[in-house]
Amino acid sequence: MIALAVLHFFHWADDSAVAAAIRGSTWVFAFIEVFHLLGLTLLLGTVVLVNLRLCGYGLQRQSLAEVASDALPWMLVGMAVTMGSGSLLFVSEAMKCYDSPPFFVKMGFLFTALVFTFTLQRRLTKRSAPPPLWGKVAAGVSLFLWFGVGLAGRAIAFY
Amino acid sequence: MSLFNICQALQDSAVGTSIRESLWTFPVIETIHILALALSVGMIIMLDLRLIGAGMRHAPAGQIMGQLKKWYLIGFGTMITSGVLLFWSEAAKCYRSNSFRIKLVLLLLVALNAVFFEIVYKPRMEQWEAGQRPPAGAKLCGWCSMILWIGVIGFGRWTAYGMK
Repeated sequence: MIALAVLHFFHWADDSAVAAAIRGSTWVFAFIEVFHLLGLTLLLGTVVLVNLRLCGYGLQRQSLAEVASDALPWMLVGMAVTMGSGSLLFVSEAMKCYDSPPFFVKMGFLFTALVFTFTLQRRLTKRSAPPPLWGKVAAGVSLFLWFGVGLAGRAIAFY
Repeated sequence: MSLFNICQALQDSAVGTSIRESLWTFPVIETIHILALALSVGMIIMLDLRLIGAGMRHAPAGQIMGQLKKWYLIGFGTMITSGVLLFWSEAAKCYRSNSFRIKLVLLLLVALNAVFFEIVYKPRMEQWEAGQRPPAGAKLCGWCSMILWIGVIGFGRWTAYGMK
C-alpha cells in the first residue's frame, strides 16, 4: 500500500511539466546543481561552525548559545537553497532516484539529521557552555549525519 | 614545450592515468573536494557575512578570523590537494576548458583580495568591536570575496560538467 503510493509519487514527479522542462535543456540541470553546491557550502559550513563550538573549538570566545543563534539564520538559508534546488533535481530524474539505493540512504540521513538538529541539538546549543562529554557526542552525531547526507548524495551520481 | 604539452604529459603520467582509470579513486577525491567546501569556503563566508554586516553579530570580525584561521587553512589545504590530484588526471582536458580557465582567474582574484585585506585592514582589525561596523573598504572586500567564491564554485561545477 505505502510502497504503491511511493511509486505513484515518483511517477507523478517524473511525469510533471517541471521535470520535462529541466530534462529538455542541456544547461538547466547543471545550473540548478550549482545552487545545490552553494547551499551545501552554507549549510555544512554553519553545521561545522556550531559543532566545532560544541566540541570547544573554533569560536571559543563567544558562548555556545551566541554561536548557535548567529549561525541559525544562515543555516536555514542553506537548507532552503539545498532543499529547493534538490527538489528540482529530484523531480527531473525521479525514476532514476527510485532505482537508486544511495538516494534512499540520503533521504534517511537527511530526515534523521533534520530531526536531530531541531530537537536534541537545538536544546543543547541554547546553553552558554557545552556539557563536555555530551557536547562532543552531539557534535560527532551531527557531523556524521550531515556529512552522511552529502556522501550519499554524491553517490547517487556515481551509482 | 608548450603549456598544453605539459598538461598532456601530466594527464598521461602514471599518477594521472591511475587516478582517471581507477573505479574509486576519482569519485573519492571528487567527494572530498566537494565536502571540504564546508571547512574552506564555508568558514570564509562566515567572516565575509560578518564584514558586510549580515550576521555573526556576537563576534567581532577580528575574533572570527583569528579563531577560524586554523580551520579554513585545513579546509583550503584539503581543497588544493584534492584539486591538484583531480587536475593531474585530466590536465589536458582542463587546459581546453574555458570554465576551468575562468575558475583559475577567479581564484587569482580571490588571492589578491585576501592579500589586500591582510595588508590594509588586518593590522587594525583587533580594534573593531562587536557592535561596531567594519570600515567601508573592509565591507567591500567581504562582498568581493563572497561573489568571487560563488563564481569559483559555479565554474568549478561547470568544468566538471563540460568533461563528461
